[in-house]
Amino acid sequence: MFGREALSFSTCFVQSLATLFLSQLMASSLNPCTTNITYRCMELNLSGVPDEIPPSTQNLDLSFNPLESLTSNYFSAVPALRFLDLTRCHIQTIEDYAFEDLPNLLTLILTANPLWHLGPKAFYSLTSLQKLVAVEDNISSLADLPIGHLHTLQELNVATNNVDSLKLPKYFSNLTFLRFLSLQSNKISSISIGDLDVLQGEKGLNLTLVLSSNDIKYIQPGSFEGIHLHELSLRACFENTNVMKACIQGLAGLQVHRLVLGEFRNIQRVEDFSNGLLDGLCLVQLQEFVFICFKRFNNGTDTLFDCLGNTSTVRLVDLYLDQVSAVPTASRIHQLECKTCKFSEVPALKLSSFKELRLLRITKSKYLTGFQQKFVDLDNLEVLDLSENRLSFIKCCSFHLGGTPKLKHLNLSFNSIISVSGGLPLHELVSLDFQHSKLDNLGTVPVFVSLGKLIYLDISYTNTHVESQYVFCGLASLQVLKMAGNSFKDNNLGDSFKNLTQLLTLDVSSCKVIQVSLSTFSSLGKLQTLNISHNKLLTFDHPAYKPLQALTVLDFSSNQLTVLTENAQESLPSSLVHLDLSYNLFICSCNHLSFLKWAQEHGELLRSTELMVCISPEHLKNASVLNFDLSSCQLSAVLVAVYVGTALAGAVFLFLIYKYYFNLYYGLVLLSGCRRYADRGDTYDAFVIHSSKDIEWVRKELVETLERGVPPFHLCLHYRDFTPGVPIASNIIHEGFLSSRKVIAVISNHFMESKWCSFEFEIAQSWQFMEGRAGIILIVLEEVDKVLLRRKLGLSRYLKRNTYLEWKDREISRHLFWRQLRTALLDAGKWSRE
Amino acid sequence: MKMLNAAILILVLFYPSLSTEWPTHTVCKENNLEIYYKSCDPVQDFALSIDGCSNILTNTFNIRAAMVLRQNIKELSMDINLIINGKSILAYSQKLCEPNSRRFIFCGKKKGEHIYYEGPVTLGIHEIPQGEYTVSVRLYNGDHLTVACADFTIKNK
Repeated sequence: MFGREALSFSTCFVQSLATLFLSQLMASSLNPCTTNITYRCMELNLSGVPDEIPPSTQNLDLSFNPLESLTSNYFSAVPALRFLDLTRCHIQTIEDYAFEDLPNLLTLILTANPLWHLGPKAFYSLTSLQKLVAVEDNISSLADLPIGHLHTLQELNVATNNVDSLKLPKYFSNLTFLRFLSLQSNKISSISIGDLDVLQGEKGLNLTLVLSSNDIKYIQPGSFEGIHLHELSLRACFENTNVMKACIQGLAGLQVHRLVLGEFRNIQRVEDFSNGLLDGLCLVQLQEFVFICFKRFNNGTDTLFDCLGNTSTVRLVDLYLDQVSAVPTASRIHQLECKTCKFSEVPALKLSSFKELRLLRITKSKYLTGFQQKFVDLDNLEVLDLSENRLSFIKCCSFHLGGTPKLKHLNLSFNSIISVSGGLPLHELVSLDFQHSKLDNLGTVPVFVSLGKLIYLDISYTNTHVESQYVFCGLASLQVLKMAGNSFKDNNLGDSFKNLTQLLTLDVSSCKVIQVSLSTFSSLGKLQTLNISHNKLLTFDHPAYKPLQALTVLDFSSNQLTVLTENAQESLPSSLVHLDLSYNLFICSCNHLSFLKWAQEHGELLRSTELMVCISPEHLKNASVLNFDLSSCQLSAVLVAVYVGTALAGAVFLFLIYKYYFNLYYGLVLLSGCRRYADRGDTYDAFVIHSSKDIEWVRKELVETLERGVPPFHLCLHYRDFTPGVPIASNIIHEGFLSSRKVIAVISNHFMESKWCSFEFEIAQSWQFMEGRAGIILIVLEEVDKVLLRRKLGLSRYLKRNTYLEWKDREISRHLFWRQLRTALLDAGKWSRE
Repeated sequence: MKMLNAAILILVLFYPSLSTEWPTHTVCKENNLEIYYKSCDPVQDFALSIDGCSNILTNTFNIRAAMVLRQNIKELSMDINLIINGKSILAYSQKLCEPNSRRFIFCGKKKGEHIYYEGPVTLGIHEIPQGEYTVSVRLYNGDHLTVACADFTIKNK
């Protein structure tokens, strides 16, 4: 045991330091300019005010510390105190001037200290004290409390002590601001004439006097004569019905604003509510009567309201009251409230006897299921609240509420099933609340047609499926429509709100909406608040929201937006001050850079920004949209330069390769060591067959380009290379075909007309056949005459079967022509080598 | 029986309040029903007794409970959890005190005040399930600060 206490002490010490440090830290982080004013030192085994606490401290909690006794000037180190908690500090003695130097103290809590010595000047200099709590302090008499000089005192709590008399000492006449005096759970057994003399006249007009849980046996009639009180609470004071009845009669002459009678759930002593129990109230003037926690109503309650004729407000709370019996005809009750009572049926007929009724509440009664009676002739009823019961009824409400022509506020929320039909003939109705009651029939037929003055309508979570666009017809004045948790036809808001031109607030959250029509909001030009959160909207269709020019608050959270497009950003109403886009499915990629940038620039417009998180890409999942690094989307200049440079170099390289393809090829061929001329004895690269009339072209184009270009080809031309003196045919064979690797035939109309050409071509064909290699390259020089071509059948067939080159006098065509020709000439050489 | 209750009460109230691990108290020990409890509030233990264990099987039984408040209970709510094999099977929640309707006499009490509750409790169930299980009860105030917390171990054979 000793070891544990030693350990605990060191823990406390550390804890106290930590507490002080932490609290200081918190204060300085809140506002670096003000020093800390609140210190909580609860249960730290302190035996005095700790030295660490600065003089500027205003709130000090020293509860559960063993202070033992308060000597004079005990709190001189903390003169600025306004709140001091000394709960359970084992204080037995408070010496004179213990609270000297605390002129600002407003609240002093002395709960649960075994006080046995209080110096007569113990509370001196508490010149501002407003609240003194002396609960469980072993006080046996109010006269023992030296508090007569506390002129500013407003609240005195002496509950759970041993005070045995209500005799208020003379000093109470000094406490002119006293508003609350609790003597609950003391030992007061009787109240006599003279006990409350100091309150005579109007001195107690603002005073709440709590005498609950005293075992009062007797109240002398006349004790309260001429006393005005604000409130008198007498719960669980009487041991049986007779004592209660007699004591209430003892209240005769009292004028009180509110009287609280009854018991507690766990203290039920009065056997029965017998007739006449409250008869004494006939001699009490009261505005409000509260009857609370009373269980036993076996003998009927015929007299419950007998003496409440002049009371304007009656509250029946937590009573086992299952019916309303007789009601006096001349009742002037304006407000009647039954909370947690045992009614099984709304006692509408009986309650209709309260002709002056303006407000009626029957709430939180779990046995209340039926509503079959009607209210009759309640001409003044303005507020009817039947919320939080288990009501289940049909044909609401033309039958039930036909007799309440002035009804302005109707609350049927949190009930079971209500079937609305036949319209609501409540022309004066201003607010109507059905939330969380299951509504039948709403959504298909217009039932609000006659509610032209309705301003507030709540049908949230009523299982309503809006099928018709006329559901809200007739609600010309409606300003607030709350219909969260319902559904719409095709999950589209459609034209449901087209008549609600005065609407200021609309809540359609959790309605499974996937689409908003272009005309949905067209008549909502005055709308200021729109909650469309918790739906399934994929996009913000900005043209649909265009009519909402007065919108200040838009809650679009918990939808499926991936981005707010630039058009949508621009079309947001200029009046908007609050936009909630949290819990959407934002994609934080550079494709949506404009949105991400916009979001970061409009931090003051957006709400719950910490919940505006990215859903993708994976590495940014659950990161805040506002923390997205915009610079990650901007490429650096160096990188761009490198990219461009590389691309240019690549392009130049490819161009060079293209341009010098043949040079390279030729070089490669030479390098490979293949000496064609020497190896194979071919003198020429190609023998050119052409008509002598095309010699101009051959000389200027063919010879010029092939023999002077790179690689240099060597052509065999009859006018140049044939040996003179040798027959032409021999020349053709020897010089032409046998010395050349290739044959180039220049086809033209002249070619076809020339016999030599035909001869040469035929030989070439047979030579090609004999040698077994593709040696003939055809060049079609000009548009060939079809008739001539057909006549030269062999040539025509050859042209059909083989590819040939066509000469066209255009730059690009020429370029391609020469490339093809060169390739053909080179390629054949290679082919022949293999 | 009453002597025993008083003894438990005194023992618990004067138990050094600096410990964090509280002892297990016995509420009932009869032939086929055993109920123990242990405070799970690190700040304090509390005293509880039931007048006659067999009454638990009837609908309503009287309990006595005592403790010193560490928090104000202007508002007071109660969470009850039935735990079998470490899994919460059933949860029940109820508001005991509301600022405007003080149903119980302890409602509205402040930090440091002593609560002694003596009164009937209705479980609302007609029989106690067989087997061994834990019922965790937590009372908390309007600021969600723990007012009292206890784990009951019930063995019903």
